Amino acid sequence: MAVGAASKAAVQAGARTRAGSKVKRNQVPYAVAVIAVVAVIGIWLGGQKPVLGLTWIFGILFGFVLQRSRFCFTASLRDPVLTGSTSLTKGVIIAFAVATAGFAAIQYSAVLKGAEKIPGFISPVGIHIAIGATMFGIGMVIAGGCASGTLMRMGEGFAMQWIAIIGFMGGSLWGAHDFGWWSAHFFQNSPAIHLPSVLGWPVAVFGQLLLLGILYWLADRYEQKRTTFLS
Amino acid sequence: MAEHRLDCYGEACPIPLLKAEKKMKTLAVGDTLVVLTDHSCAMKNVPDWARKQGYDVDLEETGDGEWEIYIIKNH
Repeated sequence: MAVGAASKAAVQAGARTRAGSKVKRNQVPYAVAVIAVVAVIGIWLGGQKPVLGLTWIFGILFGFVLQRSRFCFTASLRDPVLTGSTSLTKGVIIAFAVATAGFAAIQYSAVLKGAEKIPGFISPVGIHIAIGATMFGIGMVIAGGCASGTLMRMGEGFAMQWIAIIGFMGGSLWGAHDFGWWSAHFFQNSPAIHLPSVLGWPVAVFGQLLLLGILYWLADRYEQKRTTFLS
Repeated sequence: MAEHRLDCYGEACPIPLLKAEKKMKTLAVGDTLVVLTDHSCAMKNVPDWARKQGYDVDLEETGDGEWEIYIIKNH
């Protein structure tokens, strides 16, 4: 450990003298300009329709948090295979758990108020989900981001994602264009299952949270096994 | 106590991490690996990986969106 401490100090001393080579631009004026533009657009959108202003702000904040935390759905599924790291996987599981609790609250209160249709997307489930997810997973690892990650990296200035978005939009448009055909041939007759309606609210919600907890624990164990080093 | 530089400018994640992993295996104990990257994902996942392996890590932003990651192979 003495080797480590001494070499770290040497590295830091060297780093300080080395780091003066590049001048960093002051980004505060850009930040002020961007905030002003965001505010103006938000006010204009809100004037068109109040919900648009809200979704605008949510989108901006979501992207900001995504970028600052370096949260990555792609890495959450790729890293366990590639490097054995599951910290992002665990983060995604936590996000699912929060969404489970939140949507349970939204849907349950809607049902209590006597809503005819349960809020949220409840789509037909079947083998097509697994196939589509696998295709998307392969694509997102190669493209360097999923939907949110691609948009976030476009904002960061990565040219690769500006190209990836073209593929994303092209594929989505093509799929939307042929959606009727896909639906008729593959999932029109698949059931759209809303678990709380089938299993009852307590079993569905707490069962899902328990399952997510188990997955979290498994992810933790997996990482420990993959990354134990021989010291 | 040698220093090895690994230039990963222009490479998207996970390439810098994979290259750093491979390179670290070839280093002697006490050597330092300096990973140069301009990808913000690598700025996060390379130090995380190195710390999990038990190495000392130092991170320096040397320019707008350019980082140098110092990893000391202490064991």
